[in-house]
Amino acid sequence: MEVAGLRGFDIVEPSSLEEAFGLLGTGDPAVRPMGGGTALMLMMKSELFKPTRLVSLRKLGEPFHGLGESADGKWVRIGALNTFSMLDHSPLMKSHFPIISRTMNTLANLRVRNVASVGGNLAHGDPHLDLPPVWMALDGEVRIVGPSGERVSAVADLYKGYYETTLEEGELITELRVPVKPDWKSSYTKVTTRAAHDWPAIGLAISVQLSGRQIQDLRIVLSAALDKPTRLTAAETVLRGRDIGEALLREAADAATEEVELETDNRGSQEYKTHLLRIYVTRALQDLVSEAAPK
Amino acid sequence: MTEVFTSVGRSIPRLEARDKVTGRTEYVHHLRLPRMLYGKIFRSAYPHARIKSVDKSAAEAIEGVFRVVTIDDIRTVIPHPYYGPAFHDQPILADGKTRFSGEPLAVVLAEDPSIAEEAAGLITVEYEEIPAVFDEVEAMTSDVLVHDELKPASTFADLKHLKGRKGTNIALDHKLLRGDPEAGFAKSDFVFEHVFRSQQVMHTPMEPFVSVADVTGDRMTLHTASQGPSFVRIEIARLLGWPENRVRVKVPFLGGGFGGKLYIKLEALVTALSLLVRRPVKISLTMEEQFFMVTRHPCTFRIKSGVNKDGKIIARTCDIAWNGGAYADIGPRVTQKAGFTSAGPYDIENVRIRSSAVYTNRPPAGALRGFGAPQTAWAYERHMDMIAEEMGLDKVEFRRQNLLRDGRPQASGTILVDAAIEKSLDKLLDIMKWNQPFDRGSGRIRRGRGIAVGFKGITSPTTSVAIVNLYADGSCGLFIGTVDMGQGSDTVMAQIAGEVLGFDPTTIKVIHSDTDVTPYDMGTLGSRSTFHMGTAVRLAAEDAKKKLAELAASVGMVPGSNQPISEIFERRYGMRAGNVIGVGSFIPEYQKPDPETGQSLKVTPFWGVGTNGAEVEVDMETCQFTVTKLVNVADIGRPLNPKLALQQLSGAGIMQYGFTTTENMIFKEGQLTNASLADYKIPGLLDMPREWINEFTDSIQHDGPFGGKGAGETTTIALSPAIGNAIADATGVQLMDLPCTAESIFQALKRAKA
Ligand SMILES: Cc1cc2nc3c(=O)[nH]c(=O)nc-3n(C[C@H](O)[C@H](O)[C@H](O)COP(=O)(O)OP(=O)(O)OC[C@H]3O[C@@H](n4cnc5c(N)ncnc54)[C@H](O)[C@@H]3O)c2cc1C
Repeated sequence: MEVAGLRGFDIVEPSSLEEAFGLLGTGDPAVRPMGGGTALMLMMKSELFKPTRLVSLRKLGEPFHGLGESADGKWVRIGALNTFSMLDHSPLMKSHFPIISRTMNTLANLRVRNVASVGGNLAHGDPHLDLPPVWMALDGEVRIVGPSGERVSAVADLYKGYYETTLEEGELITELRVPVKPDWKSSYTKVTTRAAHDWPAIGLAISVQLSGRQIQDLRIVLSAALDKPTRLTAAETVLRGRDIGEALLREAADAATEEVELETDNRGSQEYKTHLLRIYVTRALQDLVSEAAPK
Repeated sequence: MTEVFTSVGRSIPRLEARDKVTGRTEYVHHLRLPRMLYGKIFRSAYPHARIKSVDKSAAEAIEGVFRVVTIDDIRTVIPHPYYGPAFHDQPILADGKTRFSGEPLAVVLAEDPSIAEEAAGLITVEYEEIPAVFDEVEAMTSDVLVHDELKPASTFADLKHLKGRKGTNIALDHKLLRGDPEAGFAKSDFVFEHVFRSQQVMHTPMEPFVSVADVTGDRMTLHTASQGPSFVRIEIARLLGWPENRVRVKVPFLGGGFGGKLYIKLEALVTALSLLVRRPVKISLTMEEQFFMVTRHPCTFRIKSGVNKDGKIIARTCDIAWNGGAYADIGPRVTQKAGFTSAGPYDIENVRIRSSAVYTNRPPAGALRGFGAPQTAWAYERHMDMIAEEMGLDKVEFRRQNLLRDGRPQASGTILVDAAIEKSLDKLLDIMKWNQPFDRGSGRIRRGRGIAVGFKGITSPTTSVAIVNLYADGSCGLFIGTVDMGQGSDTVMAQIAGEVLGFDPTTIKVIHSDTDVTPYDMGTLGSRSTFHMGTAVRLAAEDAKKKLAELAASVGMVPGSNQPISEIFERRYGMRAGNVIGVGSFIPEYQKPDPETGQSLKVTPFWGVGTNGAEVEVDMETCQFTVTKLVNVADIGRPLNPKLALQQLSGAGIMQYGFTTTENMIFKEGQLTNASLADYKIPGLLDMPREWINEFTDSIQHDGPFGGKGAGETTTIALSPAIGNAIADATGVQLMDLPCTAESIFQALKRAKA
């Protein structure tokens, strides 16, 4: 008798995209691509996902690998199969995006970072992940290939809802591209409320372009307390083009806490998380300004 | 007179250290027997529901599934399939109804554990939900009954008084009365009353529960990760109606237990399964399944004190409801032992205590490091600080003025002996530099500090038996039922035997629990082993020494000469043959407390005494806080192996630190919402206080083996209130419930502002 799942599952390692699309395009939700497999493994353990087949992207070659600067130096290309540790140890990343290795400090643990992949992280859609809001704040874009061709999407447009992405069946993220913006500064605040190492109660990624104390442009992205990482555009609007000061920060914090409705969970009530958002938006902006323009 | 020791008192390394770090140590998880089947438990989805029907067909249809078992099958081999150390209330699998969500309801047996797991997911059950009760206070008067009838077990001497009752969720009401508290309140200048709560947490040993049963012929052998092999044998023999000598229980090392692996856990289930299929059966829980095995009691504690203007406490009443969950497990003992010390280590003339073990529709609660004492200290030591605060008294002096001292009767009437309460307070204050100025901070970051004093009684009366076997070549085997689960008991017991016999302790072979071979021991629990088994080992070694001397004399040798021991045997038996067997058996003095007043002249063999101090830093905007310093001082008598003792103090402290700040089983309508270690937070290295200091007082337990006594729980007792008191000191708000979290400070500050 043939019963699904009983003989465990297959891990296949196609060596061409065509082969991969063939293996993936079954219409069966129990068939999925695999990067590092760390998120898949967690879902399998909690019985949220029972695979029949995992399609490893490991042998797909060039489009998924490599990490380097574009010829004009305007952006950095990160192959989807780069592990977190590879990002963490890359001198190029350190010089252009120091925020990444700072974020790594509190992201999972070394064993996970050694295998978790940039693409798997982006495709997973768990709103608690630390990196997607950071890539959003950096204006990252992903290149996606699928049986019907290739497309490019802003990281921001990848997310539809709680664990829901805009990736179609069979579509694979091959690379992430992040623009190099030397005059921007960014930070990520992972706010945990129980143990130091926990999923964030709120995650807050901010990048700003400053001239002195004036904010030319900025991105504020909130994650974890919402169903997907979300730009706080009202707060951005309040701040854009204005000089940082106490009153402005208060106004921005008001806007931030008004434009989103946070969710209550085991890491904190809506009320408390909203309180935290107010404080950490203010602190993160203050820190970025004083880092850029020390008094 | 200072005694000189050669073996005890030295920090020799653990005997098993090399084997452990080289991966050679034996654990039940490694065990595979020929023809062994693996069992996977299917668990109930509702906290309180009648089981209308169980559909096993889809699971049974799967290739590789050997059998799917429910309570009806179990009954064919064990007609009365109910077990428990205090009440025979727990069915081997849910019987007719489920009493908590996550209760074992069926088991799939297969040769391949992944097939068993897969098939278990295919079982379907039709339930009829019935009203449930989750809160311990509500359950005391609720119409919802978790059990229709309570059936006492009467296995243990200290639980013989439990009564069979109907129409209640209260399994046991422990009462204590001393003096006249109501008159005391009337006389007092001030009366204070507070209610404190502790949350549900679990043991989380690194090695989850695991048991193997192997029936062959008319014998049942259990290989199990148990802290109490003797009890397992008694209870399994009772369930089977067999004499104890047909049941054999073997226990290798454990990867932690903390009180969880006591009494019956998986043992009754694997026994029944093995009998049913006549093959060895193994069940290993996952880390996550442990949440549904046994936990620590949540409790609600109403405490009331009458105090005079000068700070003297005149009267105190304690009303405690312990949430025991669906099955009593050892909850009645927790209720009783933590009950009688729940007025705290204070000399109070008028005391009334009512401590009630209550059934609810939550996962069962049992023993967990401290046996309820930490939950009570959370209340009485927070209460002490709150009284001092309100009366404007110095928090240390207020305590000191009321402290129990040796020679004075504790609330039970038992006279305090060898309890270094004030000494450990003094040492704590010294380490904390309490008398020096303290920087409280200003603006956003505020600092505070707090202390707390705790004590506990020890389960009594309990028995330990040890055998020292001197072999003819002069080497030595030590046969004990104490289970080494990381605390280092093998090492300390060998040190005790070595001290008496004049042997190097590292040459003594400790033979682990095998009830066919090792003698009775009540269990490795409640800080009892060093004192009880340690004394039995000392007696056994003395007995062997005496017999050896007699043997030497009988062959004309001078006792105590340096002739090798083998020489004695050779002369006696003409070759290397024979044994000298020393036996030691120990049960401490005990007087059963009066059922109405809880009074007893000897309620505990010794006292566990500890003080704790904390410094915290609170961000007054976010309410996030850091414990920057924790100091734990314990009276453990003479430390028989100082390094191991400090590891115990430290480990117990870290555990309690988790129960104070991060760990919390969160339920919604009886469903556990965070049954994973990703969402049930155990403190990590980054959460540890920067300064983490563990010390013991210079003390001796006069009737303990070489002056020693238990050390495994002491630092757990008053650690939570030390942190709670420090938070109050820093923020000005009082946390009444555990755990202490950033949000609980936020909410308390908000209430204070309102
Ligand atoms: C112990 C532990 C702790 C953790 N702690 C943290 C933490 O503190 N902070 C944090 O942010 N995260 C944390 N994580 C989550 C971790 O970041 C994610 O599991 C990881 O980023 C997922 O990457 P992966 O390559 O392993 O993905 P996989 O598990 O391989 O895949 C994840 C999902 O993406 C799909 N997928 C994979 N690659 C692609 C691709 N190229 N194109 C399209 N779809 C793809 C898969 O089908 C799957 O649905 C933790 C995880 C673990 C196990």
